[in-house]
Amino acid sequence: MTGPASDAIVVDHLSKQYKKLRAVDDLSFTVRSGRVTGFLGPNGAGKTTTLRMLLGLVTPTSGNATIGGERYTELHDPIRHVGAVLEASSAHRGRSGRNHLRMICRAAGLPDSRADETLELVGLTPAGKRKFKGYSLGMKQRLGIAAAMLGNPQVLILDEPANGLDPEGIRWMRDLLKALAAEGRTVLVSSHLLGEMQVLADDVVIVAAGKLVRQGPVDEVLGSMGTTQVRVRTPQAAELTTALSALGATVAPQADGSLLVGGAEAAAIGHAAFTASVELHELVAERGDLEQVFLQLTAGMAGIR
Amino acid sequence: MNLINAELFKLRTTAIWWIMGIVLLPLYAASVLANWAQFASTSPDQVSDPDQAEQVRAALEPINVATTLYTSGQYFGILIVLLLSAIIVTSEFFHLTATATFLVTPKRESVILAKFGAAVIVGVLVWLLTTLLNLIVVPLIMNNLDLSSQLGEGAVWRAIGLNLLAFVLWAVLGVGLGVLIKNQLAATLILGIVYVVGTSAIGLIFFLLTQYVAQWFENLQVLIPTTASQLMISGTELPGNPPRWVGAVVLIGYAVVAGFFGTWLTKRRDIS
Ligand SMILES: Nc1ncnc2c1ncn2[C@@H]1O[C@H](COP(=O)(O)OP(=O)(O)OP(=O)(O)O)[C@@H](O)[C@H]1O
Ligand SMILES: [Mg+2]
Repeated sequence: MTGPASDAIVVDHLSKQYKKLRAVDDLSFTVRSGRVTGFLGPNGAGKTTTLRMLLGLVTPTSGNATIGGERYTELHDPIRHVGAVLEASSAHRGRSGRNHLRMICRAAGLPDSRADETLELVGLTPAGKRKFKGYSLGMKQRLGIAAAMLGNPQVLILDEPANGLDPEGIRWMRDLLKALAAEGRTVLVSSHLLGEMQVLADDVVIVAAGKLVRQGPVDEVLGSMGTTQVRVRTPQAAELTTALSALGATVAPQADGSLLVGGAEAAAIGHAAFTASVELHELVAERGDLEQVFLQLTAGMAGIR
Repeated sequence: MNLINAELFKLRTTAIWWIMGIVLLPLYAASVLANWAQFASTSPDQVSDPDQAEQVRAALEPINVATTLYTSGQYFGILIVLLLSAIIVTSEFFHLTATATFLVTPKRESVILAKFGAAVIVGVLVWLLTTLLNLIVVPLIMNNLDLSSQLGEGAVWRAIGLNLLAFVLWAVLGVGLGVLIKNQLAATLILGIVYVVGTSAIGLIFFLLTQYVAQWFENLQVLIPTTASQLMISGTELPGNPPRWVGAVVLIGYAVVAGFFGTWLTKRRDIS
């Protein structure tokens, strides 16, 4: 088993040209082991293309992508090392989910029993013998995750795995991915569910129009962009506004009667209210969330190309 | 070996193999009956052209009757093997399982090689099935035609062996063509139609070329794959035909070209 440091994913000046479209454009980032990394970007940003290049399914026009220092196609026993769930990946309509997994086991030289174990892991055992064409979207997604887990891999790469999962399923997947990362594995997961990513991811890589926009720990990315504002509720809005303006803070009255204050810490606002004898009903510091930051960062680059 | 096992498992776990089996059996029965009827009703005296009469006389020699009968079912058996071999490849794209397959085995030439292996095994199995049935049924027919079973003749066993070679080569050809025509519907339609109608259509073209352009075009007829495999197994030498190793060489040539080109193409292709 390889050490945690060697299981990093390194994308190095990767590009893919489709006819006139540069789907991925000189993209570089790294994904560390022991953490969940969110791979975010608007539709058509090149996420799927990047992941497919990483997995040796699509040939890059230029650049390199390695997992633990090796290209996927050079890995000795790839599915024991890397598990992947990709969109537009599927199973034969007429084959049962269990047989789909067994077929992978046979090709990889894994025992058939792994198929049943991973079916159990994703909660698909009752439907294991049913044909794939009868599966719901969420069941198909779970089968994909089961396939990825067959080789008990050290690295997991998932393209929108939450697609079609019910709330219980999303929570189950969050717990699973977090637990896997906590064991020191590398987890790279693309998603459009930014609320979910904010809870799940330790790091984010944000791309737009094929290029890297931002990469780093979620907290850092949020901190660098999220202009912290403070929401204040008071029956004496006019007095508080005067007092805060004197401090150089900006005050924006909201439709629900609260005030959004920028340029002042919650403590300073509380102090100003106290000295001005203004009664406060609510005083909450509001962090910009991932969705806000994402929209700011990708503004103007989000159009479908 | 794991990979060939996986390919056979893929085939086994879907409906395609028994559908093809159900299609094959009546077609096999029909070919046996047709062969029987033909030998029961033809005689060289009915033919006026002396050259043709010579051919018919040769074809009616007991040994040639035997080789034809003991390889009954070749025409449709090979058609089924051809289609199955192509489907072994095209279904990966049709059902979007190529992603899973190439994730397990990123070395694509290994996957294609395994598909060649699996297709060859399918070819051998279909050959085995038709040959076993022939060995049971044909002695009875020979008896009915007042001929001995001819099973002591080396030529019969050679024909059966060459029939096997034909099945194997067509299986390889099917995989190669499946890679080239990646669309499942297109592949089955094109291969099926070309196999069934193509022989006579291309034969007609060759006939016209021979008649109006140059006589030597006749010798190129063997380039039609179906003609080549017919020639390869056609018992002892019939007058007016090229030697049968030519048929074998032509078929092997096609199989090798389709195999290499198919592998090369699969390695280059983006899977998305
Ligand atoms: N095989 C292909 N041929 C031509 N263009 C392609 C191909 N695959 C992807 N593209 C284009 O490349 C761009 C990036 O596509 P990609 O699927 O990587 O985006 P994505 O970030 O995964 O988007 P989404 O969030 O919608 O899944 C798109 O504009 C797409 O149309
Ligand atoms: Mg995508």
